[in-house]
Parts: sequence; C-alpha cells; structure tokens
Amino acid sequence: MTDQVNLEPTIEETAVLLIDIASALMSSGAHTMRIIQNVSRMAETFGYDLDVSVFQMSIMMTIISKKDPGKLLTQIRKIKPLRLNFSIVSDLSALSWDTYDKQLPFEEVASNFQLIISQKRMNSWWVLFLVAAANASFCGLFKGDFTAMTCVFFATIAGFFVRQAMIKKHINHLVVFTTSAFVASLLSGSGYVLHLGHTPEIALASSVLFLIPGVPLINSILDILEGHILTGMARLVNATSLIVCIAIGLFTSMLLLGLEKL
Amino acid sequence: MTSEMIRLMLIDGLLAAIAAIGFAVISNPPRKAIFVSAILAALGHSLRLFLIKSGLDISLSTFVAATFIGLLSMLFARIIRCPAEVFSFPSLLPMIPGMFAYRTILSLIRFMQSTDGIKAQGFMLDFFHNGLTTLFILLALVVGVSLPILLFPKLSFSVTRKY
Repeated sequence: MTDQVNLEPTIEETAVLLIDIASALMSSGAHTMRIIQNVSRMAETFGYDLDVSVFQMSIMMTIISKKDPGKLLTQIRKIKPLRLNFSIVSDLSALSWDTYDKQLPFEEVASNFQLIISQKRMNSWWVLFLVAAANASFCGLFKGDFTAMTCVFFATIAGFFVRQAMIKKHINHLVVFTTSAFVASLLSGSGYVLHLGHTPEIALASSVLFLIPGVPLINSILDILEGHILTGMARLVNATSLIVCIAIGLFTSMLLLGLEKL
Repeated sequence: MTSEMIRLMLIDGLLAAIAAIGFAVISNPPRKAIFVSAILAALGHSLRLFLIKSGLDISLSTFVAATFIGLLSMLFARIIRCPAEVFSFPSLLPMIPGMFAYRTILSLIRFMQSTDGIKAQGFMLDFFHNGLTTLFILLALVVGVSLPILLFPKLSFSVTRKY
C-alpha cells in the first residue's frame, strides 16, 4: 500500500514537469493547439485535469486532481526566447502519446524529457553552409544568373555568421536582424556597384531572405485560425517587427550604396 | 507539356529542394524530416510553376500548391511518425514572395524621395500592387498548408502515436 502511494507523483512534481514541457514546446516553435493537446494528454495520464493559457512571454496553468477536486495548483512560468527546434517538438509530441498509451511512470517521463531537451543541435558550420546554399538557390528561383547566385552565397555566409555570433552574445533580436540584413545586403549590393552579372537587383533582393521568420509567421496565422487569437496576434506582431527590421537593414545599405536611384 | 517545360520544372524543383533543406536546418528538425521537406518543396514548387505557366494567377497557384503540400505532408507524417508542420513549414519557404516584398520596399523608398507628383503616383501604384501581391501569396501559403490540419485535427495530432 505504501509503495502505491510513493509511486503516485505529487501535484507539485506533476505541475512543474508539465509547465516545463509546455514552455520548452513554446520556445521551440510549436503552435498553441499542439502545446495544449500535449500537456493535457500527459496530465490525464497522471490523473489530473489541466487548464492552460499560453501567452507570448509566459504560460499559466492550473492543475486539478481528478480524485479530489479541492486539490489544485496554479503556476506561471516565463518562456525562454524563441529558438526554433523541431526535433524537440516532434520528440515531445511522441513522448506525450507514449505516456498516454503505455501509461509510463512519472520518473520515466521526467528522465525522457531531460534527454530530449539536452539533445545537441546540428553543427553550426553545417547550418551556415546549408543556409548559404539555400539562399543562393532561392536567388536562382527568382531567375538570378550564376554570378548573382555566387554573390548571394557569400553574402549569406557573412550575414548568417553575424547572426549566429550575435545570438550567442544574447543581443536584442531586433538589432541582430537589422545588422545581419545590413551586412548581407551590403555585400551583395557591391555586385550592383561593380556591375557583376546581368541580374544584380535579384542578388540584392534575395540576399536578405534567409532572415524571413517563416515559421513564426505560419504559426501565427495557424493560431488565429484555431481561435488562439491573442497568442497569434503576438506572434504576428513579433514576426512583422522582424520583417520591418530586415527592411531597415536593406534600406540602409541601399542608401549607402546609392542604389535607390537605379 | 513540352520538353522545355519539363526541363524548367526539373530545375525549379531542384533549386526549391536545396532551398528547403537550407531553411529547414535553421529549425533543427529530425534528420528524416529534412529529406521529406526537400521532396515536398520540389513537388510543390514545380506544381506552382506549371500552374503559373498555364495561365493561373500567382496567388491562386500558390494556394493550390500549398494545399497540395499540406495534404502530402499528412501522408508523410503518418509514414515517418513526425508532426506534419515539422516538414511542411520549411517546404513552403521557397515560395515566400521575396522579390515582391523587395519591390514593395523599393517603391516605398522611391515614393518617399520623389519630388515629382506624377512619378510619385506611379510609385504608389507599384507599392500597392507589389504589397498586395506579397500579402495574398503569404495568406495563400499559410491557409493552404493549414487547411488539412484544420480539416483533420484528430489525424494531425495523433501521427506521433505508435499504437
């Protein structure tokens, strides 16, 4: 009998684990509906009911014991800045189903969660190379010639390197986006000044596109369509301000190079 | 469909696949999802090119291509047991209307700096034309890809379930 009691997770332990999972999902770029579904499913397995509200900066959660509705706990957790990580989203989603279907014990879920969030990211030099290749072929999709694509490749390497370095130093993300857009467009705009190739304007335009916050944009519309309008609007405003910053960076280097008159 | 058209679509698909791989790795997805997003991007982007060449409007063809990607991603999500958005989002990114967005900003700068009233009207026209196209393509992308998620919510949230 005492063993049984020890196995049952306390309401505090469960609440802390669930809000950790929710905030990890939020800062890895999951949309609101998925976060709510995942944590509610796990709470049900452990014998609790869950009410969650998700905001841009914090998550609020009330957890109620099913056996004893008088036993409840509300807590708020800050969300770390957004750093996209779809491996975490995918693995946590799988973990929540495993918990539900196999009735995994609490300790196992907690240790699996720790394993999932401590996974290593892909090597940042690889990412740098792949992003540069992607942006160059993006330039090709817009009918840029080979010179323009080469220009974009090197401009993206510089711009993305600046971005990675600044993110490591925890500089304000609006400043990061403006600066890396400025660096990338300044380099690819030199192709314009030096008359390289036949399509320098395409090189200039596509050199900053690796910065476009595509996932937050799509998430925001998805949230709004699913009825989480406040969170969706917050994400939308965030993504829009990043796009404005990219435009400011591009604008500054165009004015510096004197390209607006072309 | 001529051989020239097929050649164009192949090149388009290849470039879109490389672009999708690069934009996918920023969000650190599982390895198998990277390949799926490359395949989806190639199929979706060359479908869009085909629709545009056959005379359909760009935002409408984007919508069709995005819906196609969304539907295929539900299928692949079941096969590799991974949430659909993990690979359907990166495969949409090659369709982001970068050139239109750039021209929107450019015409805004020109409007701001122009002193000639008649020329300024032309720039304003450019601004609205390019800006609205950008906006509608973006909306078409998002609504198209999320239609399957909204239509089959049960399916889309249970793909990572093993039993």
